[in-house]
Amino acid sequence: MNGSLLDSVNIGNWMLIAPELWVLTMTCVILFVDLYIKEERRGIIHLLGMITLIFAAIITLRGGYLEEGATQAFAFNDTFVRDRMGDVLKAFSYLVLAGVYTYAKFYMRQFSLFRSDFYTLSLEALLGIMLLISANNLVMVYLGLELLALASYALVAFDRGSQRASEAAMKYFVLGSMASGILLYGMSMIYGATGSLDLAEISTAAAAAGSGDIILLFGMVFLVVGIAFKLGVVPFHMWIPDVYHGAPAAVTLFIAAVPKMAAFAMAYRLLQSGLGGLHVDWMQMLAVLAVLSIMAGNLAAIAQTNIKRMLAYSTISHMGFVLLGMLPGTATGFGAAMYYVIVYSLMSAAAFGMVILLSHHGVEAEKLDDFKGLNRRNPWYAAIMAMVMFSMAGVPIFVGFFAKWLVIKAALDAGLMWLALLAVIFSVVGAFYYLRVVKLMYFDEPLAESSIEAPVDFRAAISINGILMIGLGIFSSALISVCMSSFT
Amino acid sequence: MSLTTTLILIPLLPLLAAIVAGLLHKQVGRAGAHWVTILGVGASCVLSLWVLYQQMYEGLGTQDITIYNWMISDGIRFQVGFLVDHLTSLMMVVVTSVSLMVHIYTIGYMAEDPGYQRFFSYIALFTFSMLMLVMANNFMQLFFGWEAVGLVSYLLIGFWFKRESAIFANLKAFLVNRVGDFGFLLGIAAVVYAFGSLDYADVFGRAGELEGKTFSIIPGLDWQLATVICICLFIGAMGKSAQAPLHVWLPDSMEGPTPISALIHAATMVTAGIFMVARMSPLFELSDMALTFVMLIGVFTALAMGLIGIVQNDIKRVIAYSTLSQLGYMTVALGVSAYSAAIFHLMTHAFFKALLFLGAGSVIIALHHQQDMRYMGGLRKHMPITWLTAWLGTLALVGFPFFSGFFSKDAIIEAVALSNRTGSEIAYWGVVLGVLVTSFYSFRLLYLAFHGSPRYTVDAGAGHHPPDGVLQHEPHESPAVVTVPLILLAIPSVIIGYFTIEPVLFGGWLSDAIHVAPQNDVVAELGTHFHGPMAMGTHALVTVPFWLMVAGFVIATLVYRFRPALADYAAMKLPVLHRLLENKYYFDEFYQSAFVRRSIQLGNGLWKKADAGFIDGWLVNGSARLMGNLAARIREWQSGYLYHYAFAMILGLIGMLTIWVIRS
Amino acid sequence: MPIIEITFYLFAAVLVGAAVMVISVRNPVYAALFLVLTFFSAAALWLLLEVEFLAIVLVLVYVGAVMVLFLFVVMMLDINLAPLKEGFIRYLPAAITVAVVMAVELMMVLWVRGKFGSEAFESPVPHPPDYNNTKEVGEWLYTQYMLPFEVAGIILLVAIIAAVALTLRRRPEAKRQDPARQVQVKRDDRIRMVKMKSETKVEE
Repeated sequence: MNGSLLDSVNIGNWMLIAPELWVLTMTCVILFVDLYIKEERRGIIHLLGMITLIFAAIITLRGGYLEEGATQAFAFNDTFVRDRMGDVLKAFSYLVLAGVYTYAKFYMRQFSLFRSDFYTLSLEALLGIMLLISANNLVMVYLGLELLALASYALVAFDRGSQRASEAAMKYFVLGSMASGILLYGMSMIYGATGSLDLAEISTAAAAAGSGDIILLFGMVFLVVGIAFKLGVVPFHMWIPDVYHGAPAAVTLFIAAVPKMAAFAMAYRLLQSGLGGLHVDWMQMLAVLAVLSIMAGNLAAIAQTNIKRMLAYSTISHMGFVLLGMLPGTATGFGAAMYYVIVYSLMSAAAFGMVILLSHHGVEAEKLDDFKGLNRRNPWYAAIMAMVMFSMAGVPIFVGFFAKWLVIKAALDAGLMWLALLAVIFSVVGAFYYLRVVKLMYFDEPLAESSIEAPVDFRAAISINGILMIGLGIFSSALISVCMSSFT
Repeated sequence: MSLTTTLILIPLLPLLAAIVAGLLHKQVGRAGAHWVTILGVGASCVLSLWVLYQQMYEGLGTQDITIYNWMISDGIRFQVGFLVDHLTSLMMVVVTSVSLMVHIYTIGYMAEDPGYQRFFSYIALFTFSMLMLVMANNFMQLFFGWEAVGLVSYLLIGFWFKRESAIFANLKAFLVNRVGDFGFLLGIAAVVYAFGSLDYADVFGRAGELEGKTFSIIPGLDWQLATVICICLFIGAMGKSAQAPLHVWLPDSMEGPTPISALIHAATMVTAGIFMVARMSPLFELSDMALTFVMLIGVFTALAMGLIGIVQNDIKRVIAYSTLSQLGYMTVALGVSAYSAAIFHLMTHAFFKALLFLGAGSVIIALHHQQDMRYMGGLRKHMPITWLTAWLGTLALVGFPFFSGFFSKDAIIEAVALSNRTGSEIAYWGVVLGVLVTSFYSFRLLYLAFHGSPRYTVDAGAGHHPPDGVLQHEPHESPAVVTVPLILLAIPSVIIGYFTIEPVLFGGWLSDAIHVAPQNDVVAELGTHFHGPMAMGTHALVTVPFWLMVAGFVIATLVYRFRPALADYAAMKLPVLHRLLENKYYFDEFYQSAFVRRSIQLGNGLWKKADAGFIDGWLVNGSARLMGNLAARIREWQSGYLYHYAFAMILGLIGMLTIWVIRS
Repeated sequence: MPIIEITFYLFAAVLVGAAVMVISVRNPVYAALFLVLTFFSAAALWLLLEVEFLAIVLVLVYVGAVMVLFLFVVMMLDINLAPLKEGFIRYLPAAITVAVVMAVELMMVLWVRGKFGSEAFESPVPHPPDYNNTKEVGEWLYTQYMLPFEVAGIILLVAIIAAVALTLRRRPEAKRQDPARQVQVKRDDRIRMVKMKSETKVEE
């Protein structure tokens, strides 16, 4: 199994990781360009970031790498895998990150944080996300995760002047290190039990050993904990409220929206591609985690007065729903979970985009009260926020409804009637705090009468983002079929 | 323009108009908002008329068109599509034409309101929702329209959101409708369960399969599946069409501006339930039990709500209770399988009730938002057009021969008489007595508002919101934008029954949409006695309902024209009855104490126990009593200490290890 | 081969003992030194497995560089561990409970229920004398694990960027050296020749 040196330099390998290479190259380019431009011409960096994403999307979606009849293509001695699921998730990561850049530029200019570090670090994080999505080997999973995590820690602490941000970054860093330690320990157990780091080989060994192998089971618990931390499900969610709250809104936006897609891919690769043979066991674990998250997330969100914290708890409950979709371990189930996670990313991007939009004079609009009377100040923005909230609450015809519906159906398919019922009940509970925002916007007196100003690209992005909430609901079949066909 | 395009445009134009008026309200301005919505709804009305014309004279058959396939899941198709048969096209014309009148009228009524554009946007949206509902060719779209109508009505009733009572009323409407919707949703779910399809054509085509099918919710207790489906669906209809005991929202919803009252209560929302049951006739025909239930609910509503109307003083509330009562008539008709009679009454009622509401609105404008009839009177000479049209509307409502309401109501009464459903005798007496009640409160309204001595006083020095019964100046006739719709609505209120009774009821016009089992077909039996509208009108002079109507008129004249003291005397002599009616049979009080207060208590309890106790107390504040030392730790975790977070993770890990590893 | 087993248990015992000391001693310098001892023991254990390269790298990098740096920091910043350890006793019961539960579970998994003991795996076969661990590691890194190896490099790059982004700040008031300017400096920049008349004798 010791691959030859020749194999490593095989051109086919490099073609497969072309998107990753492109992103890496552009990160370095941005790093250098920044040295030679003046402060007031930072816009170039933003432009370069967008170009990176656009071309990455083109390279990724070009396809044609699959051999006749194959659904996956491997590179670098099977440590790297390209497949449809990976491509779709990557493409959405670019899309959401492009949105994040558009929102963040406005924010960073306002708070005089507009530095190229944000772009380099977030592109590195994106690279981590891409590698994680395409990992086919425990080592690659771990490295991708670390790359993503390290860049995220730095991003949280990005606003050096803010004590709150530093505190959040510290917490994130320590807890994240612990989680990755736990994950690594689990991986070592899996390696010990199966004698391999390659997911395909692990899969064969795990299928043969089944639930009887206690070492395998033991290692899997650790893996599940690692995944749970990354997704942020109860009881491994503690970092989420503090980090979302502490980080600058632009960074929160990034952390909330993009890495969840990688976390989903990681869960799929580890649990399904790797430990599919132990489905019965991890299904139960995920079921418990999902229940706790949906309950705790929705209940705790009600008590929040800070919208960033509220959205943090809402994220926790959304991730519970994602787990719900993964429970059956079937293609439809994973398709539903993937659809949910993509929809969630779009929704949270829009929600935090609105938080950024309302920030003014260097003060973040993080109180729920800042949304009071928004309809009076600007009905269109209020409508966007209302659509986002309706979508998050899972009101029919909005895209969030379909996401919830599909994952609940997946849970039903797995025969978990009680879980589906609980999910429905708590999504009704959750609707309360989403609709409270709508109530604040439409029925309360505004605290500030000032008009809301934003550059044209911001306005366009947030409008498109808002319209997607209902557009993807009305024309929901397209995205659903894309997700469903990713797992065959 | 192809037919499909036309059909798409009919609901789409009001929607576009609503979007333009709502989102671009600053750009289009006040005039722009009303022009764009009126043009949108007007065009949609013309197109609806064209479709109706095509079906009447050009032999256009039933159209079942799928516009867009939303998704297919487990073989169940979710789609947007239109089913346009005679029933639909009739409804489309009623909805769009009444809506158009309301739009025009609103220009006058809302002239001074700051939310002018918002209002036009809402009512155009309302029209769109209603059109989606009636044109649906599948249950899902029906449900969408159903919910959309509910949502917009919620917005409209609470339009004056600064009024406490309006907010309360719209909340009430929302909650009560949710109860109905829940039943409706269960009904749809049962349909999916039974047929595995949401498509009308598919479901109705295979309706026969339901025969004899049972299923059990509680083991050992078998239910007829058809009965369960129909009763669930009808509960939905009870919510929307305000049938007792889910009627309580409708009178309160008079808090909305008057045009809305006309739109919601005459032409659109409340008729949705009636329409839905008629549309589902192939299913309802399978269950005698469900139909009996429908009939009894209907007759109770028809009579009981009419009685309340007698003691109301608010002009709009009287008309609201009259609406409830008339909806009861339609429901009775549905219950005796006279679906076409129900639809016929729905149509005539839409016109004369819209007329009455708008007339009331005209009075309200003239008296500066004074709605209490005790402070009206003698408006006849000040507002001749309003007075005249109100009389015409009232005559139609009480069923004076040859007026439109006469034909439809008489058809229902006759149909009930001919029915041999269990309990139809009670229903017959209920609807007949209802005629007396209707007549009494209708003429009472006319006398109190338009005749007698003026009970408002004019005081030029009074402020803009004078105390009760005091005006700044003499009331005068409303502007043309108000009176023209009145006149335009008065015409069909008077004549439409005469011209349409034959085709709608007996000419088989609705036979492509409505399915009646032969043994239930009372309308066909009625048809054998029918010798043209003229004969029917003249024959009425020797029937009981006619003389009851006259009796109502005489009593009302006596009491309110000549002996006003009689009313108080009667109230004093019959205190129990009077109090019962004043308090609307204590429905509200009952709901308040049985559900609302209970659920507030439950909510408070949950909040205190669950939120304050569990979340704050257990998770956040720690409760030494409960979890002792450990809980104190947990409280500290939430306070932001890193090591608490880490400890939580470790505990989680160990918990999972213990459960799964050690257990296995 | 009892000598190998004796060595293993010796170093393993030292490793665990030193690790306990790291977290229990009061003086931070001692703690750092115990950590050094831990690394040494681990390196020795690796040597038993004939992975010389890793053993040496561990000593060189961790002991030689990282820990020395760490010691510097500890000595330069007067860290008072007392307040940090305040809760130590208070939380000890909970911590011990957790630790005991964890240990019991681990034991159950590894010994009682699982097949993870030394009897379950064959002892590794000693390599021939010409075996080169460094070469072996290198071959694996550049063939089978080429991509992970490169990614690890990128992680280091991110670490650098992050460190710079978080610590580099321009202080306009701070005085900084500019070596380029220092080197380029010319005599004329520094010294000004002032010509003045020599003093003349004052005529009396």
